[in-house]
Amino acid sequence: MRTVYIIVVVVSLAAIVGNHLVSPSSGRAVSPEDFAGACAPCGAPCPSKK
Amino acid sequence: MTTATLAVPPAGAALGIDRLFLVLALAATAILVALVLLDGQPASAALILGGFGLGIAFLKAEFSFTASWRRFLTRGEAGGLLGGLIVIAIAALAIVPVAALKPNFGGAIAPLGPSLLIGAFVFGIGMQLANGCGSGTLYTAGGGSGRMLLALAFFMMGSVFGSLALPSFLALGGVDPILAADYLGPWGGLAATLASLALAAALIVAIAKRRGASFAPSRNFVVGGIAIGLLCVAVFMAGGHPWSVTFGYTVWGAKIASVLGFDFSGAAFWQWPGPKHALAESVLSDTSSLTDFGMLFGAMAAAAASKPFARTAWPPAKSLLAAAVGGLLMGWGARLGFGCNIGAFVGGVASGSLHGWVWFAAALPGCLIGIRLRPLFGLSKD
Repeated sequence: MRTVYIIVVVVSLAAIVGNHLVSPSSGRAVSPEDFAGACAPCGAPCPSKK
Repeated sequence: MTTATLAVPPAGAALGIDRLFLVLALAATAILVALVLLDGQPASAALILGGFGLGIAFLKAEFSFTASWRRFLTRGEAGGLLGGLIVIAIAALAIVPVAALKPNFGGAIAPLGPSLLIGAFVFGIGMQLANGCGSGTLYTAGGGSGRMLLALAFFMMGSVFGSLALPSFLALGGVDPILAADYLGPWGGLAATLASLALAAALIVAIAKRRGASFAPSRNFVVGGIAIGLLCVAVFMAGGHPWSVTFGYTVWGAKIASVLGFDFSGAAFWQWPGPKHALAESVLSDTSSLTDFGMLFGAMAAAAASKPFARTAWPPAKSLLAAAVGGLLMGWGARLGFGCNIGAFVGGVASGSLHGWVWFAAALPGCLIGIRLRPLFGLSKD
């Protein structure tokens, strides 16, 4: 199990760093709730907005 | 002499420290903190460190929503449930008034409707099969449980499926979020939230007494509950929203699927501004992912600092199957139910949002079903 963990941690960390380096990052970290019209933590719209 | 010298365990081993994984966890955290600081984002660093603290607190207190709910349902024991309410009460003291009074802060809100009910119910089944909820999966996977590492992988997969299904379930109807502070003002909303928690605690204690079970939270749950509650406040102050876990899993799953060639441009969920932004931007731009990464490595550091890490054998295949099925159900349920025990229940109730209590009421019967299914996978009902 330790070997699996080492592989998972190293690969995951490489993936996080790689994704960060190749993706845009437009300022402070945000939650989907920060966007206009969001009605839930995932950013779903309000039923009344349909 | 040589043999004896070689047989002497390395420094630290006598104390039960697993240096390899302790260094790995600390180095990984340091790298992530350095990356966000290089981008000039101290709040992101605070979220990673807040998650790191949560990982330590959960692991050291063995704070488990899943086991607490199971013990309440099967034996009537209420201590663990009350520990969870301690977390919510402390978080509410900051979240309700600050979210109502300060710009750039907001509570965890969600619409009420079939999607919430179905999602929370399915999540309840999944958490008992996986033997861990959103936060539980994180800290046990981080703490060295290979079984929960598998549950996490399937949680991510299930949450991507859930993201594709959510718009159809939202089309079934619902009503806009109901927030206590909107009707009663910030302080009246806080009073109503604390009153609802007191009422729930009284009800839970009454049920425990009627069943002749214990209801006093253990020292671990009191101390852990206070520490976790304070860290919830810290995460809220750093991120502007209550702590949430499962949106990060959805983003990770969708990013992996995108690399594998899946196209989300036709999926309604991924065209909403928040998810679209999260999928396109760096994973370190998502508040949920930041605390999740911190929590994983915090739990790993805490586990490695106290005993040899991940030395246990893999569990039987049936138990691994339960973890996979439970992870899938939790992922799907979390997207439809707007979060897990943390994002929907703790965050929702601590924000004074009615959906938090509705989520709890729908997840509890799901847990009952999950408990009944556990023996099929070789797991005990207790």
